[in-house]
Amino acid sequence: MANINELLNGWGFGKQTAIGTANLVAAIWRHTNLNTKPWAKVPVNEDDRAEIGKGHEFPTQLFRSHYNMPTYEISKYASSEFLAWAMSFSMGNVAVSGSGPYTYTIVPALGATNPTGLELPYFSFVQQIRPGGSAVLDEMLVGCAVKGWKLSIKNSPGRASAMCAAECVTTGQYTSPSGITLPAISTPHEFNAGMISALTFNGINYLSGGSAKQFVSMEASWENNFRPGFFPGSGSQDGYQIQGRFEWGDRVFAVQFVVRVQSGSTEYANLIALTTGTATFTMTRDANNSFTMLIQKMGFNVAELGNTDGIVTLQITGVQLYDPTNGLVTMTVTTPLQGICQ
Amino acid sequence: MDSVFMRSPEGEVKEVEATAEKLTPLMVAGWHQVPAPVVANQKPVVAAEEEKLHGEHQ
Repeated sequence: MANINELLNGWGFGKQTAIGTANLVAAIWRHTNLNTKPWAKVPVNEDDRAEIGKGHEFPTQLFRSHYNMPTYEISKYASSEFLAWAMSFSMGNVAVSGSGPYTYTIVPALGATNPTGLELPYFSFVQQIRPGGSAVLDEMLVGCAVKGWKLSIKNSPGRASAMCAAECVTTGQYTSPSGITLPAISTPHEFNAGMISALTFNGINYLSGGSAKQFVSMEASWENNFRPGFFPGSGSQDGYQIQGRFEWGDRVFAVQFVVRVQSGSTEYANLIALTTGTATFTMTRDANNSFTMLIQKMGFNVAELGNTDGIVTLQITGVQLYDPTNGLVTMTVTTPLQGICQ
Repeated sequence: MDSVFMRSPEGEVKEVEATAEKLTPLMVAGWHQVPAPVVANQKPVVAAEEEKLHGEHQ
């Protein structure tokens, strides 16, 4: 018997050299996780019920089929370290500069020029309960990728006002026992909504001027829509087929936000006039920890009137347009940690 | 100002000022970061901002 609070999570902040090659311990960090479930391994069996010639319709034999690994959410209060990790592993094209702190510039990779085609960087995920001679759980999942993330900003106090959840997938390949001694738990540099230092969407500044104090909340998300990774030669473990690649499909970048309505609000006018502009969202904790999401060309798709806690609001659904020069979005994260996605 | 070395899809390597404004158009055009080249008697690298990057790669 073990309490779920004993579950230790660690995963690669550096990328694996290949999908089947696990991270070395030096590139693995240990973090807390608001998702209280372990990452389940789901081997699937099949039987012979569909085969005739047995004299009856009932199954008589079991066969190993494949590892049908569920997606797994790493849910964290937004920090410079975790945002750098989630953005880098989900988008793929990363440039890092500086000598401490380090600044990561991240854009979505393009299949035509990405050195690994439609595949993103992979990492290993370690989960342990009482590792050692009598471990309840000790395994390392190899070949994990970030399928998508959600960044939520709310008008509430504390760390919960800025959260980031990364949804991950894995091949089915694993090592048990992991052979990994997890490092001490990391102390990330977390943000909260009070640290927002730039908030201008499509020409409307929600931090100063007439629209100041009108911003209520925002949800931004990224989805890689990975294609199934089973193919001839994809590999096997324990006699079960595993996935050998995660290729992105049609990627989706979504942004929704809620603002209060006041006399002279220009959101409707921008929508009807098909106005587009950049959108800049920045959180600054200090000189060593900041995050900027620069959407290169945002228009408004829907502006729906409603109310939030009794205040008349507009829920805006943005449409993020691809700019031929600057692309879709640039994430810039400054953090003290070196080697993320390197 | 920090700088990084970037490589174009065609293999050209350039030292670039490490700002989002300078890096974004390159990365969108398919450039990727590479380690600083280690060359004996290395010559100074021309700063990328002096060049018209998009005209070269489109």
